[in-house]
Amino acid sequence: MTTAIDTPATAAEKEVSAQGKARAKRGENLTGWTFAAPFAVLFGLFLVVPALYGLYLSFTGETLTGSGSGLVGFANYADALRDPDMWKSLGNTLWFTALSTIPLVVLSLALALLVNLGLPGRWLWRLSFFLPYLLASTVVVMFWSWMYNPTLGLINGVLAKFGAAPVAWLQDPKVAMISVVITTLWWTIGFNFLLYLAALQNIPEQQFEAAAIDGAGKWRQLFSIVIPQLTPTTALIVTLQILASLKVFDQIYMLTNGGPAGKTRSIVQYIYESGFTGYRFGYSSAISYLFFALIVLVSLAQYKLINRRSAA
Amino acid sequence: MSTYTLARNLRGTVKQTHKPGENPWSVSRIAALLVLAVLAATWLVPFAWAVVTSLKSEADAGASQITLNPPDGFSFDAYRKVLSAGDIPSWAWNSLITSVAITLITVATSALAGYAFSRVNFKGKRWLYAAIIAAIIIPPQLLIVPLFRQMLAFNLVDTYWGIILPQSFAPAMVLILKRFFDQIPVELEEAARVDGAGRLRVFWSIVLPLSRPILAAVAIFVFIGAWNNFLWPFIVTTDAHLMTLPVGLQTVKSAYGLQYAQNMASAILAALPLVVVFLFFQRQIIKGIATTGFGGQ
Amino acid sequence: MTDLSRRGLLKTAAALAGAGLLVGCAPGASRKTTDLSYWHLLTGGDGTVMAGLVDAVNGANLGFHTTQTVLAWGPPYYTKLAMASAGGRAPDVAIMHASRIAGYAPGGLLEPWDLDLLAEVGLHESDFPVRVWEKCQYDGKLYAIALDTHPFVLYYNTEHASKAGVTDALRSMQSPEEFTEVANKLQKVTGKHGLSYGYLGDGSQMWRLFYTLYRQTGADMKLVPGQQAQVDKDAAVKTLTFIQSLLNDTIASRSGDGGTATSEFLHGESGMFFGGVWELPVLKDAKMPVDAVPIPTLFGTQAAYADSHTFVLPRQSKVSPERRKHVYTMVAEILKRSVKWAGGGHIPAFQPVAKSAEYQALKPQSNYAGIPAYVNYDPDAWFTGAGSDFQNYFAENVQNVFLGSGDPGAGFDGFVARLNKLLDRPQPV
Repeated sequence: MTTAIDTPATAAEKEVSAQGKARAKRGENLTGWTFAAPFAVLFGLFLVVPALYGLYLSFTGETLTGSGSGLVGFANYADALRDPDMWKSLGNTLWFTALSTIPLVVLSLALALLVNLGLPGRWLWRLSFFLPYLLASTVVVMFWSWMYNPTLGLINGVLAKFGAAPVAWLQDPKVAMISVVITTLWWTIGFNFLLYLAALQNIPEQQFEAAAIDGAGKWRQLFSIVIPQLTPTTALIVTLQILASLKVFDQIYMLTNGGPAGKTRSIVQYIYESGFTGYRFGYSSAISYLFFALIVLVSLAQYKLINRRSAA
Repeated sequence: MSTYTLARNLRGTVKQTHKPGENPWSVSRIAALLVLAVLAATWLVPFAWAVVTSLKSEADAGASQITLNPPDGFSFDAYRKVLSAGDIPSWAWNSLITSVAITLITVATSALAGYAFSRVNFKGKRWLYAAIIAAIIIPPQLLIVPLFRQMLAFNLVDTYWGIILPQSFAPAMVLILKRFFDQIPVELEEAARVDGAGRLRVFWSIVLPLSRPILAAVAIFVFIGAWNNFLWPFIVTTDAHLMTLPVGLQTVKSAYGLQYAQNMASAILAALPLVVVFLFFQRQIIKGIATTGFGGQ
Repeated sequence: MTDLSRRGLLKTAAALAGAGLLVGCAPGASRKTTDLSYWHLLTGGDGTVMAGLVDAVNGANLGFHTTQTVLAWGPPYYTKLAMASAGGRAPDVAIMHASRIAGYAPGGLLEPWDLDLLAEVGLHESDFPVRVWEKCQYDGKLYAIALDTHPFVLYYNTEHASKAGVTDALRSMQSPEEFTEVANKLQKVTGKHGLSYGYLGDGSQMWRLFYTLYRQTGADMKLVPGQQAQVDKDAAVKTLTFIQSLLNDTIASRSGDGGTATSEFLHGESGMFFGGVWELPVLKDAKMPVDAVPIPTLFGTQAAYADSHTFVLPRQSKVSPERRKHVYTMVAEILKRSVKWAGGGHIPAFQPVAKSAEYQALKPQSNYAGIPAYVNYDPDAWFTGAGSDFQNYFAENVQNVFLGSGDPGAGFDGFVARLNKLLDRPQPV
């Protein structure tokens, strides 16, 4: 393809090196952008443009049908801050994040530790815990709606055999969020589990041997060697998990549609509903940006926290 | 800790069995085994119950008494009905087409851009790189409204391209590949360049072959994400014939009442492709997730 | 996986993708004008009957073929329909609740029906009940053709009723006190509950009963954008207090959900059941001794909450006049066969069917056939209607009143405050 540097360097070529440098620089620019262009175009068109367009929309009264395209200043933001549904959805989202992150981190670590013991049937354990992660949210929800079905479901059926009263898993305002968290736990724990498992196998064997010589028991080893060694992994998993939980939509939308009485509606669902069910594109975009601000804050806080810890 | 070392260690999956001199059947190990078995069984129950339901007749599936011994026995009727009457085959086709396209485009664009960031000093590089890092924390869920508007303007609502394009780039994957390319010794390429090979050629015949495992890892991760993605395909398709499997199953209902056995058969059929792929390529997939997982969320 | 097979896989994948993209670039572009697409949200018994009607019309060889797509009931359906219309790629015809028209017509998401073309296929204003036809109008134009009216009614177990000696009272009672008395008598017969009513977590169910009784007091509810909601708080408190008094765990379960209420009534554990007419097939299939009547006028004025399934024309960016003509024919043909639809409990809107001997012979459907004359739809506003946020707002504020823990006045005030907020906003359509 290129024959420009076909010949070995000669004295004559060195003479024009200044000129060549400029040309090489131009060449580098061209090459760089040629390589980066396909990505940059997609990135620009489908991320930068909608992000900026969404920001613009948030200052308009734009609707699904295209009416109300005039600028309204900060009215949407002011409206959002006074909207009880926005606060409720945000509260639900934070509550879901708290309820889901803790077991998703703790239980996945426990599972990884158990599987890492080297007990027989290792592939089977790994398969069982990881398999749900490969399912689409829709399939997960179909399985669990069936499990939770108040009259025909397996859970209430088993409860009935023990003489317990049926529970309206997805309809009872007190239980619905717990049910959503259980489903989420089942679905996504495999991911954290795998990351922990990978990290565990990274701990050098010698450390255990040294500890064993010192007479440290298994439990002491766990708390004095394993868990401290896993700190960077845990920090990353917690970060990823919080960000993933804050964005929850699929399973809640399909299991409860945000009900009963808005008790499980997440902020992403509220963004979807304000925009596509309530037609208010401008308003929906404003909530998106408020939520984005929250995500930036959370990310910064975590970044600070992790950096301070690793510096210490 | 680098994600690559993580991945490398995953390769030795059977590294730790019990240590020599340790009793393999000590009480604590048996207890641990029991706990694992109970947990794993619990984890498999929703699957198993769905399979059992899907093999029952509709009458038995809708009976309020739970039983593993239904009066009508077990059969594949529900699967037959779902496959012959439903839209599942066409949704699966849509899922396959779009996921494959998304995977190919994402891997290609990420590899090219990652290489540019790793090797080429071009004007605007730092600026673009900063934008990519910033973009990682933008959840795509927040862009659904402006993106939908944009797709209307581009006339891409209810098209394959409308599903594919917004999913076909992944800033995190660019970073992962860049970091990988950074580790490849430059000397390998310089020798070829002295021999007169252009950048693209070097990239194609030297860098890519060395990067096969990481490219496979990225491809696996992207494919699983695309196959299972719900929100964006759900927003951009209104035509039932163009929906992907997850969207179609959620959106389109049967006109003939609640059919629990068929419902579960549909779910099993939708789950099957990835489960089968996983059973065959378990090691590669697990490695892929562990390699890309941290950067890819 | 070896490199060879991976490469092979990639190649196959690329070929697949290429083929798919080529085929898939212009979906639906080549649709024939004789192929009609039809969206609805009818599942269960209703879905089966509708599928039968579509098949019957297809089988009549009228020169077109209709393909139905069934979407999930409620917000998912209406959201998809609005998005499809906004994109101009909507189906040729769709079902919409009459109560939702005010939310769709003003934004240009629907197109009006042409009265002349309707006359050509044999449909006239005089073929529909006055109040139903009115509800299908927006801004002086006809946006919907009603298929039915489906009110909220009172079912009762005829065996329990005669045992309790309340068969006549069930039809003649005229006050809340009489209703309570009948319910208590039935409770003594069943030993469990006198009445079944499922509402927990279901704003629509709560709204249906409330609005029926509220309108029976003679009160009205008017929602005009830019103004405060016009409501009658005293009437609302009276209604809510009465409902609260019924949900005392003796007359009816304090916290009944839909499924439990239906199964309780089915198994003879209660004597009466508040439900929509669409529940009829389930009750009849169970072969229980059941009858249905309009909810008795307990507060002086005849009133009944109902909605209607209607046919609408969602906006399409390109309309084929030929296909549009087929749509008119298809709707007319379904209406003419709607006595089948009445089998599912609904009151046919098409008067030649509603007045036919065949329909009048249907029991208990004909008991409540008079409701369309005094039917009460949701108040007109862009945010009201079946499966809308409006009913969710009602549930959010009033559910604890139903549960017995909330104060009726405070609950209703909360609901009105929410309505005022919505009315204060610019209308998004």
